[in-house]
Amino acid sequence: MLVRVNLGLREKTAERVMRLTLFFCLAALPLLWHGEYALGLLTLMAVYGVLLIGLDATVGYLGQINLAHAALFGLGAYGAALAIQSEVPLPLALLVGIAAALIPGAVLALPALRLEGPQFALSTLSFATLTVIFLNESESVTNGALGLSIIRPSLFTIVLNSTRFYWLCLLVLFVTWWASQLLLRSRFGLAIEALRDSPTATDALGIGTLRHKILAFAWGSALAGLAGALHAINFGYLQPAAFGYDLMVILLLGVVFGGRRNQWGAFAGAAVVTMLPNLLSNRTLFSSLVTFGCLLAIVSPIRTLLSRKMPSFRQTAPVAAMGGALALALFASNVEEWRKGIFALFLFAAVVGLPDGIAGALTAILRKVICFAPDPLPVATGGIQPAKNGAGLALQALNLCKSFGGVKAVDNVTLEIITGETHGLIGPNGSGKTTLVNLISGLYKADSGSVEISGVRPIPGSLMSACSAGSARTFQNLQPFSGLTALESIMVCQRYGGISEAMGWLHVVGLEAKARLRCSEMSYGDLRFLEIARALATRPYVLMLDEPAAGMSKPDIIRLVDLVTSIKRAGITILLIEHHQDVVAELCDRVSVMDGGQLIALGTSDQVRRNPKVIEAYLGSDETAIQAKSEIGAQLC
Amino acid sequence: MNAEFLALAQMAVGGGLMGMAYALVAYGFQLTYAAGKAVNFGQGELVMLGAFTGLSLIGIGLPYWAAVPVAMVAGAALGWFVERAAVRLALQQRNEGWILLTIIVGLFGVSAAENIWGRDDKPFPVPWPEGALEFFGISVTWPELAIASGALGIMALVELAKRYTMLGIAVQAVSADPDAAELCGIRSKSAISLSWAVSGAAAAFAGTIIAPVTTVGPTMAAALTLKAFSVAVVAGLDSGFGLVLAGIALGSAENLSGFLLGSGWREAPGLILLILALALRPQGIFGKKIIRKV
Repeated sequence: MLVRVNLGLREKTAERVMRLTLFFCLAALPLLWHGEYALGLLTLMAVYGVLLIGLDATVGYLGQINLAHAALFGLGAYGAALAIQSEVPLPLALLVGIAAALIPGAVLALPALRLEGPQFALSTLSFATLTVIFLNESESVTNGALGLSIIRPSLFTIVLNSTRFYWLCLLVLFVTWWASQLLLRSRFGLAIEALRDSPTATDALGIGTLRHKILAFAWGSALAGLAGALHAINFGYLQPAAFGYDLMVILLLGVVFGGRRNQWGAFAGAAVVTMLPNLLSNRTLFSSLVTFGCLLAIVSPIRTLLSRKMPSFRQTAPVAAMGGALALALFASNVEEWRKGIFALFLFAAVVGLPDGIAGALTAILRKVICFAPDPLPVATGGIQPAKNGAGLALQALNLCKSFGGVKAVDNVTLEIITGETHGLIGPNGSGKTTLVNLISGLYKADSGSVEISGVRPIPGSLMSACSAGSARTFQNLQPFSGLTALESIMVCQRYGGISEAMGWLHVVGLEAKARLRCSEMSYGDLRFLEIARALATRPYVLMLDEPAAGMSKPDIIRLVDLVTSIKRAGITILLIEHHQDVVAELCDRVSVMDGGQLIALGTSDQVRRNPKVIEAYLGSDETAIQAKSEIGAQLC
Repeated sequence: MNAEFLALAQMAVGGGLMGMAYALVAYGFQLTYAAGKAVNFGQGELVMLGAFTGLSLIGIGLPYWAAVPVAMVAGAALGWFVERAAVRLALQQRNEGWILLTIIVGLFGVSAAENIWGRDDKPFPVPWPEGALEFFGISVTWPELAIASGALGIMALVELAKRYTMLGIAVQAVSADPDAAELCGIRSKSAISLSWAVSGAAAAFAGTIIAPVTTVGPTMAAALTLKAFSVAVVAGLDSGFGLVLAGIALGSAENLSGFLLGSGWREAPGLILLILALALRPQGIFGKKIIRKV
């Protein structure tokens, strides 16, 4: 239907050109056309841009609903205003603003970021409410509800008239935008994408969940403080009530409407948020815009109806919300009285109908129209290298115990694995194999007993610590980083080396051709191999594979056996949990057998297979069989 | 006993009785959290809308006894609506969108209330006698007693229904495992909707018993949501009657800090308690620890 234009341009380059053009135009605006009111709006838009880019770090990238951003903005504003009152030079005042938001933000982040979802939203909401109370009540410093006035300072010797101040804000926005993009597209950004999908896996692979969350939150808080400082200088008058819940809702509207996880989205959101109050005051313009929005919303359900299907909730709900807004625009006696309601309806339509916001939708259209040149794939280098040399024990678990309520999942287990060995761990379902691996890898904290990995004792109950001691693991239930590509999944786990080494790891597991495929689009078997590659990319000393062949097809199992053999040949110690006895027999030097939380046998695969205790665990003993028979007999009689 | 101590005790008792109403709103959180692991960030708005509905019904001449059940039905309908419009889709997609959507629906509720009933606080007429009862020198007003008995009564009623009716047991089954419940022939979606409707009805009822003490206004919503959250989180989102204790403690602390530190700081202890509880014991004082599974 559409003709795709091939510009031979990479997407990154195209974005950069567009961004530079945008800033050039914005900077040129006041030269072409003079108007104090318009200039004020543009300045406000730049300030909101900085603020929303910061909010996007938590709401977009971390995927957590952060309700403290408006309060942090307020703290930054008050910090800067108080600094200016004591006649501090402007750059320093901006720094004070940043610190005023960053320090309380960090105090909040440390406890709050251990939480997820509603609990996180709640703690930020209470922080925000507390902040407004604090600003209102500390009258001796903030002048309370009466408000605080400041005079706009000059930048060194330059007097900041409104045009110059606008340029300053624009410059700050440009730098923030560029820095955010750099930060969030680096390994740091990949880690944040990854931890949103599986915080357990990011910890187990040594990426560090909490550390990245705190940094992202701190980055967002610092930007809120910076924006607050600019806001204070721009307006010259501050009141605590301005930084309350109402502002927070408007900021959320901006980020969600503009598009999450996208600096363009934050900018678009800032533009919408700035213009919205002015739109409401011009009724004709507002009604026509709402009508236009309504028509846009109605397109997709009508298309579904035309193909004789029922439109989904996702398609109908925005129509209902926009219809409500249209009714208000046409019939309400005073639209501005309904401000909050109209915001709510817009937000509702945006969250349900446009999950990627305006920027997301426009990007999707652009990608359809323009055919961008793909990024070239790097050449694979590296591969499995011998792990650090060592002798003696690679892994020692001493008298490990773990109970869940009354169930002893792991009961006094001692396991010693020699360096370079491939050690099998088998046992019937529910015998405690995965719990044992969870104890060794630090997902659970043992009730008693200790773990030593290559001579290092990791902190019990810390995945990160076990990983840095040299262990890496895969998961029985897959923990893929759905939002990342295969190549990115490896890169985020690497502690050494760059993109070509990452490609090398994909080559090792035979996924080279699928490097640019998203994990959400990969097959189950491929994801299992990708998990092994991820674990290998951390350069482990001990590799723990938790049922790698579960659910795999026969050809994949053959591939897997070849892969594990080559890992073994490189000298990496392996602990293999597996139900496929042929795989265990082929790969393992020694095998431990667990039943009912205890180790019941240890030896070579053949020895173990002949052990009567093992046979009993898998098939039941003659005695229990006789007992069962007699019980059934008694019931029949 | 000196006079100062008596005044403090008076504050604590008054606050504690009010705290039972917070416990009732928090109980609404528990109901929906158990059923679908989601809570309504606009629960305070439901309380406010319930109170306003009651007020309007009394205004058109309905007696208090008839107005309260009708307001509860309206609350149930609103609760059902919130689940259908804001929660179901986001929970199916397993993302946090529902937090935003419930906030949004609540915001619309506030705006609608502002335009329908006005921005000012209004008194709420009740048939209780004037004056107060005295116990050991501490006076308790009739509306306060109504809060305590009403809140406890509704919670007890719902708990009994949950335990001894087929419908209640079905809802419990869904909260344990929605998929398994579906396999046993229970409609999980309906059970979750029911929980939200009951939660909405409880919120509306809370509105009709709180309003006589605090007056009704659009601004009452936001503060109430937070207080109820504090109670629910401190007690634990799955703890049952731990709520009542947490509610009483929070209500008393609020009154005492308002008295000792100044009225602006009234809400501070609840909020600090909430952050501390979340940081130190996210599962709540009476809640069970969650085990991560892989």
